[in-house]
Amino acid sequence: MRLYFLALATLLIVCVGCATNGTSGLEARGQSELLRQSEYTAPPAAMLTRPGPMVAGPGPGVLGYPPGAMAAARAAQQQAAPATSQLRFLGPAGMSVGWQIGNGFAENQLIAPARYNFVQGATYRLKLTGIPGREGLTLYPTLQVYPTRPTTAAYLSHSGVPLQLTDEDLDQIITNNFVTKVVYLPDAKYQDLAAGVEELVSTRLPAGADPVDVAERRGTIMAVLRVGNMDLEMPGQPGGVTGAYVDQNGQIVQTAYYADGDQGQHVPPTPIAWDAGATGVPDEMMMGGPTYPGGAPWDPIAGATAPKWGMPHMHVGNPIGLPGPVSLPYGGPASLKSHTMRNLTDTYITEPVEDMLIDVRHEPGIRMPRPVRHVEYTEKHPIYAPGQVAWPAWAGQMGPPQGQP
Amino acid sequence: MRSTPLRYLKAIVPVLLFATGSPMIALAQEHPLRVPPQAGRYTPLDHREVPGKVGRWNLIAKPSLYGYFQPVRVELPSQGLVSFYTPEQPQPVLTQAPAQAAMLIGPVYRLKIAGLPEYPGVELYPTVEVTDRLHPPAGQEDQWPIPVQITPEEIEAALQDRMVTKVVYLENPQRASLLNQENGDVLTFDSLGDDNLLDAADQLGRPVAILRLGGRTPDPNNPLDILDGPPAPIRVAATAPPTE
Repeated sequence: MRLYFLALATLLIVCVGCATNGTSGLEARGQSELLRQSEYTAPPAAMLTRPGPMVAGPGPGVLGYPPGAMAAARAAQQQAAPATSQLRFLGPAGMSVGWQIGNGFAENQLIAPARYNFVQGATYRLKLTGIPGREGLTLYPTLQVYPTRPTTAAYLSHSGVPLQLTDEDLDQIITNNFVTKVVYLPDAKYQDLAAGVEELVSTRLPAGADPVDVAERRGTIMAVLRVGNMDLEMPGQPGGVTGAYVDQNGQIVQTAYYADGDQGQHVPPTPIAWDAGATGVPDEMMMGGPTYPGGAPWDPIAGATAPKWGMPHMHVGNPIGLPGPVSLPYGGPASLKSHTMRNLTDTYITEPVEDMLIDVRHEPGIRMPRPVRHVEYTEKHPIYAPGQVAWPAWAGQMGPPQGQP
Repeated sequence: MRSTPLRYLKAIVPVLLFATGSPMIALAQEHPLRVPPQAGRYTPLDHREVPGKVGRWNLIAKPSLYGYFQPVRVELPSQGLVSFYTPEQPQPVLTQAPAQAAMLIGPVYRLKIAGLPEYPGVELYPTVEVTDRLHPPAGQEDQWPIPVQITPEEIEAALQDRMVTKVVYLENPQRASLLNQENGDVLTFDSLGDDNLLDAADQLGRPVAILRLGGRTPDPNNPLDILDGPPAPIRVAATAPPTE
């Protein structure tokens, strides 16, 4: 009977042991599903990029390509003037285009059709006057010029961005409708034989549709024109751009600087806003960035040329560098007496490698002939009889002295 | 006998104008070509990349290309002036077409073409990006340049602010085209839709250069803004050697 129960217990233990997957100890301590042997979860990306002191950063010469090529290209790019997009004002033909400069306007700078290079990553306030068929109508649209993106870099460096106000757009504006026109370059998958640079107008989209959002899903935006019928040059009114006022004689007195293109006064536009994060086309992340023309590239190394690994985030609420409530008594009694942060993250990180073994094998192997171990060298010299003189070979041309054999 | 089997793959990006009544100009469809993407192979680059990226990547992949000046011959429809921007002087070097210059692989070179008798007063600023080199017999490098031909159709497209992208590739002799070149013109195939010209050129041969032509002109107050940085080293030939 005892043998029977012993055999039964043995069988039971064997079956239970086969059913487990080897993590019974860890699971018994109440660890989470994270620690199942078949699943692995990597630490956060920040921990991977900064594994520890002195080993963070890409390091110099990691990829080992010809020196100077990339650095020279980037140095050249750094020296270039601010990137510009060439905007083509196609119409209405004869319309005068001006723009805001500080507190005033530069008027009549262009006559459509015309083109102008606007610095990218900024928003400009335009002034459109002299619209044929719309006498007295002056519009103050905003033109947002998007920075270059990898998908639009080739196009913007070779072609202009078309902008046009149609009669339909003007009718919408006059009837108090706000018109948004988005010019974008569709992605390749949305381009067919008849497509290219496209334009989305808010008045032609379904109600509630955002043309900027639609364009971003279909391609890359290059410019956005927003037009309303607000008058920004009403004298003495709050909210106006200029500081103009009406004097006692009823004359409008401008207090801001104005420029008139008809009088040969051409002034570049002043942006009214800069796009946050307008960084243009990012370079390939092959190595560190350039420093100055001809200088060695900058390679971020933690603790040397980059913030030291392990430095706390700067946006913290207290001087001890940890996120949490402020510990200084700003206008009230200090209440914080202790600050405890507990890391309850389940971790299962194995021990680091102590002994690394790498086996390398060449196929086929190396087979070399046996080196020379034995050389036999025999010199035979002629034997001369007495009276004979042996001349060396190198003196053969000289011959024996005259009179001698 | 000249037997350089160089070919072109071309794409034109038109500008679609809504409600203007302007008709869409049909793309040149003399030799339409559809090369399907290579099966089981990922091609990270296409002709729409940032100018200079293809050349830089090729330079990293083949370090032996670094420092080699590849002759390039720019040909216009008939006559004209071709200017090359050099780092030595702010004004571009003016030459008569056909013009030849030796360019490095990697940088993007901006040219200026003007003086076209068919288009008086027109100035265009195309770019040439050399992505690979040819291997001519030693001492005959100048006699075997990469031909970059700008046709009247492309000039018309550029004047309408449509961008033309043309990939020059060295044809694989084992997959040579049966079409004949006419009047010395390099055979040009027009791509369709969203084709990847670089992938197609890679299947048909070996891409060696990319030409990009649009209607953008420099700022009159800052003529050098057409350049994307300081010009790269270039060796301009005084006169283009004759070709057979």
